[in-house]
Amino acid sequence: MGKLEGKVAVITGGSSGMALASAKRFVEEGAYVFITGRRQEQLDEAVKAINRNVTGVRGDAANLDDLDRLFDTVKREKGKIDILFASAGKGEPLPLGQITEEHFDAAFDLNVRGTLFTVQKALPLFSDGGSIIMTGSNASAKGFPGFGVYAASKLALRSFARTWLNELKGRQIRVNLLVPGAVTSPMQEEVLTKEAREFFESLIPRGTMGQPDEIARVALFLASDDSSYVNGVELFVDGGMTAV
Amino acid sequence: MGKLEGKVAVITGGSSGLALESAKRFVDEGAYVFITGRGQEQLDQAVRLIGRNVTGVRGDAAKLDDLDHLFDTVKREKGEIDILFASAGKGEAAQLSEVTEQHFDREFGLIVRGTLFTAQKALPLINDGGSIILTGSVASVKGFPGFGVYAASKAALRSFARTWLNELKGRKIRVNVLSPGQVDTPDSQRLDKATREMFESLIPRGKMGRPEEIAAAALFLASDDSSYVNGMDFAVDGGFSAI
Repeated sequence: MGKLEGKVAVITGGSSGMALASAKRFVEEGAYVFITGRRQEQLDEAVKAINRNVTGVRGDAANLDDLDRLFDTVKREKGKIDILFASAGKGEPLPLGQITEEHFDAAFDLNVRGTLFTVQKALPLFSDGGSIIMTGSNASAKGFPGFGVYAASKLALRSFARTWLNELKGRQIRVNLLVPGAVTSPMQEEVLTKEAREFFESLIPRGTMGQPDEIARVALFLASDDSSYVNGVELFVDGGMTAV
Repeated sequence: MGKLEGKVAVITGGSSGLALESAKRFVDEGAYVFITGRGQEQLDQAVRLIGRNVTGVRGDAAKLDDLDHLFDTVKREKGEIDILFASAGKGEAAQLSEVTEQHFDREFGLIVRGTLFTAQKALPLINDGGSIILTGSVASVKGFPGFGVYAASKAALRSFARTWLNELKGRKIRVNVLSPGQVDTPDSQRLDKATREMFESLIPRGKMGRPEEIAAAALFLASDDSSYVNGMDFAVDGGFSAI
């Protein structure tokens, strides 16, 4: 018997990287998952990789119309949500001095505004006792040069978790932040140079980046009843990078 | 197949409460566990309750001779350790104005000094890739009146975790702190009704944790599910310290 038998999960940004790995894990543990992604082709590939108990819904988590369409689909197909993993997010590096309005707006619109409305629009479908997981970043605690806007946008989610767990306590919905460190993923490969990669690895006590499935196993823990007394935490999954 | 199949775990203070519940869960998942406790009778009861794959070793985690006896036993019976859950600890209340040398020495002697030497003496037996879990307390980040010495002693463990994970990284040994909030245990059942209600009013769900909810978090930290989690102070308190 899987840990998520009969559960319905929605994973935004679930068509690649650690969110896709989490979707696979959730399905292995008995859940039905809805995943989103902006590009149809990548989404289709992800659906094929997961193979069963999955619906792909194309959409941009920063776009409120797309979010409406996502939750309309969930409502029509399953009528409820037990787990929301709001994982859509992205951060381009740009140091203070070069930051443009577009750079700021892109990060905050997707990471903060998009996450807020993802959760708000999911709420009417949420089962009591459900679990909300948001993806933070250990950049928020480290101050990596160039990642100021991204880091600040992710720390706003940490604050949301505190407020929302209080607002949702009557429904026994838990809200936690999963904070990945450097993880091998298409996004890392896209934004990091070789030098940046080596720099990050030098900061990880074990010297190697995390694998997507190492994040997925923690997402499963936060999604399942194994974490029933865990609420409002910022769970760093970064090999100890932030702790030292 | 259990998550701890073939693993050897040592759990100090494992004859009652959260640590005992964790020992049961670890055995359910395939581990062999060594538990310790100061009272022989309670230890025997705990061993009977766990039922299989368990050795009880009587001892006080504040006493270095007892720790030597513990690890000698582990070495003789199993020869290795994969998981060390240093959970022995007890909180006595004393306001700043009332703190005596004895109170300070008891708390730091067991929680800080005892945990340090537990980990140090375990080290020669811990396998590469092992997991060390130290029991912290949400008191360290909350400032409850009367628990200043206890809270500070637990905060010292949070600091140890940072240093030790760096010192042990060559052996891929992870070190995390599990910080329980209020949990229904024989200890917390001794709280007076007003104190209990005060604590429950601070927990978002309004109910204390159950020992098995802490055990599930301990299993997570002990197993490879947390392979990329290191140096965390992991609050398992229902959101009590987050708000």
